[in-house]
Amino acid sequence: MYKWFLAWRYLHTKLIAFFAIASVTLCVAMVLVVMSVMGGFLDTIRARSRGLHSEIVLEGWSLQGFPYYQEFGDYLQENLSDVVKVSTPAIYTYGIFRVPATTYTKPARVFGIRLDEYVQVNDFGDGLYYNRYYPGSTTLAPQSMPVAGFDESGAFKLPADLEAANARWRSRETDPEELSAYSAKPFEISPHPFVTPARPGDRVFALAEGKPDYVGPPRDGVIVGADLLHQRNINGDFERYLARGADIALTLMPLSQTGTTTGEPPVRVPMRYVDDSRTGIFEIDSLCVYVDFDMLQHKLAMDPQEMVDGGYTKPRANQLLIGLQDGVDLNESRNRIAAAWGSFCNSLGPGATKADERALGFVDVYSWEDLQRPFIAAVEKEKVLVTVLFALISMVAIVMLGCIFYMIVEKKTRDIGILKAVGASSRGVAGLFIAYAGSVGLVGAILGTLIGALFVWNVNDIQDFLASLNPQLRVWSPDVYSFDRIPEVVKRADAIWVASVAVVASMVGSLIPAILAGRVWPVKALRYE
Amino acid sequence: MLCVKGIHKSYGMGRARVKVLRGASLEVEKAEFLVIEGASGSGKSTLLHIAGALDAPDRGTVEFDGQDLFKLPSGVRNAHRNRQVGFVFQFYHLLPELNVLENMLIPQLVLHSGWSWLAARRQARHDAWQILERVGLTERAKHRPRELSGGEMQRVAIGRALVNRPRLLLADEPTGNLDAAVGKEILALLSELNGAGQTIVMVTHDTKVASRAHRRVVLGDGVVRKATHDGGQQPIDRPANREVAR
Repeated sequence: MYKWFLAWRYLHTKLIAFFAIASVTLCVAMVLVVMSVMGGFLDTIRARSRGLHSEIVLEGWSLQGFPYYQEFGDYLQENLSDVVKVSTPAIYTYGIFRVPATTYTKPARVFGIRLDEYVQVNDFGDGLYYNRYYPGSTTLAPQSMPVAGFDESGAFKLPADLEAANARWRSRETDPEELSAYSAKPFEISPHPFVTPARPGDRVFALAEGKPDYVGPPRDGVIVGADLLHQRNINGDFERYLARGADIALTLMPLSQTGTTTGEPPVRVPMRYVDDSRTGIFEIDSLCVYVDFDMLQHKLAMDPQEMVDGGYTKPRANQLLIGLQDGVDLNESRNRIAAAWGSFCNSLGPGATKADERALGFVDVYSWEDLQRPFIAAVEKEKVLVTVLFALISMVAIVMLGCIFYMIVEKKTRDIGILKAVGASSRGVAGLFIAYAGSVGLVGAILGTLIGALFVWNVNDIQDFLASLNPQLRVWSPDVYSFDRIPEVVKRADAIWVASVAVVASMVGSLIPAILAGRVWPVKALRYE
Repeated sequence: MLCVKGIHKSYGMGRARVKVLRGASLEVEKAEFLVIEGASGSGKSTLLHIAGALDAPDRGTVEFDGQDLFKLPSGVRNAHRNRQVGFVFQFYHLLPELNVLENMLIPQLVLHSGWSWLAARRQARHDAWQILERVGLTERAKHRPRELSGGEMQRVAIGRALVNRPRLLLADEPTGNLDAAVGKEILALLSELNGAGQTIVMVTHDTKVASRAHRRVVLGDGVVRKATHDGGQQPIDRPANREVAR
């Protein structure tokens, strides 16, 4: 009993114990922050990856795509309706993104999607910015530019359908802060209908000279990755310079069925900026634009093309994105869909041309985990590596604990003699110092866990504060780390694991001094004052 | 009760080796107050430590109730030291982080494991308090050692030595660090304890202090001799003389 009694007493009366506690606290906090941030990073990648494409992706290896995507979608609905809930085709290619009003030009990855289906197979709809405040207003169909103007009472208003959509959002929104923020500043007004506004704003619309209206020729809508078009301010929020409905030009290069250029010059497609998308992954948000599937298919000559024999080629897509029924097993579903794809291709028989057969042979079925595995595995390894590195650094604390306990044992030689004189064994005395170290470890682990957790929970606020002092102090760059915000989640299991290891490590660190304490010769210790 | 036979003990290595005890022997009867006298460095404390199983002899035996302590496993020897022997040191040797009552409870804490302490705690505190009353320090129960005078610290040390009701109290120069008046108080306390049946072996080099004892022996040249009335010494380590010394 004396071991725990004295360990506790030494713990809060010996100043040197506070240094030991401080070293354990710092190490626990440091390792917990690293594990939490890296773990949160990994979890965010997993979560985002799952919502990025769809649960199952049927993907062609080459840019020219594969045919029979629609027929296979129907085939799945007929034969695997217990597994497949919805499917939608997608096309991707590369192009040049340009804002004519500013001559801003960037390379872009262009996705052709059917928006109404696409939002059913992944989380894309959740990241649409204007669609949040004006639900249902974002479409990729040809449209004119909405402009704000004065209504009969002389107040600024958006066109009636956008005002109605906004009223729907306000009736559904439960966060009073969001509602009051919107009411305080409903939208920003661009001083000129067709160009950028003079200053950035939250929701930028062009200003009509008269009533709210739609102006300009109807153009296909384009949803732009948020980081491709907008700039972030120091707080990580986007500053929108371009009014909704502004002109965008996309330059595309059609490919033939065999993957060569068609001989036609690159296609310049005038479009209208209808919304911006935010998946939270910088590589995607700074590169991707989304346009209507049928329009892109046509512009890339992947729609049915007339052949010399008078027939037509089959339309092509690069991906068939498949959403699964709730509760089905991902890998089993992938295997069943892959088997179904094989059966489907075999059933085509002589109806398919040689080019079709070749294209069909370059198609594979992936689950979202398969697609993201290399990236996720790399991050998993990075997490382990960083945690191990910080754990190694924490070994310094164990050595330091050993030194501190050596000093404590040196100073406590007389106490050891007294304890032995009243019957304490060598093992008991060693146990006292191990219990003391365990107590130091426990207190340090609890404090370290609290400090680490508080740090992680407020890490973005801390970074914002530092960045407000000096922008160079912004350590988390979305360009490098994929996510615009540092993960702020502390897992209970991580915290318990780190704290437990700290306690055990503290006890291990004190082992040698504790054994030396057990070997102290009491007579020598007690002889002199 | 205690029989120390032919104890040899030396310290140091090689040429620096010093033979402190060269076959010292001693017997202590129950309820006896024995004083071991001797010059500084004569080996009095070493003999006392060996008698209390706090230090091991190079040669010789220490029997307690006929049992050779150094043939017992170390765990049993530790338990013997905890239950049968109480040590009082010249420099008190209290634990500075604990208050008076806690210092007195240390032997009880060593005696009990976690669970048995829960059961014994109330009785242990009661016993400690009674001893505290006996040594006259109840008002100082919550004080730390640094807040006590030398005499008070020595009383606490005596109380700690008595808390497990040991059969043998070994006091190593208990008045050596105290002024004469306080030293007298401590000696009076030890005499009172002895009067109540407590066996005491005390080491001192002060002949006035030694006069309190039932019996005095002198340690010189590494052996125990009987103290004679004229101040001379007579060896008692030889079997022929042992009975004379008793």
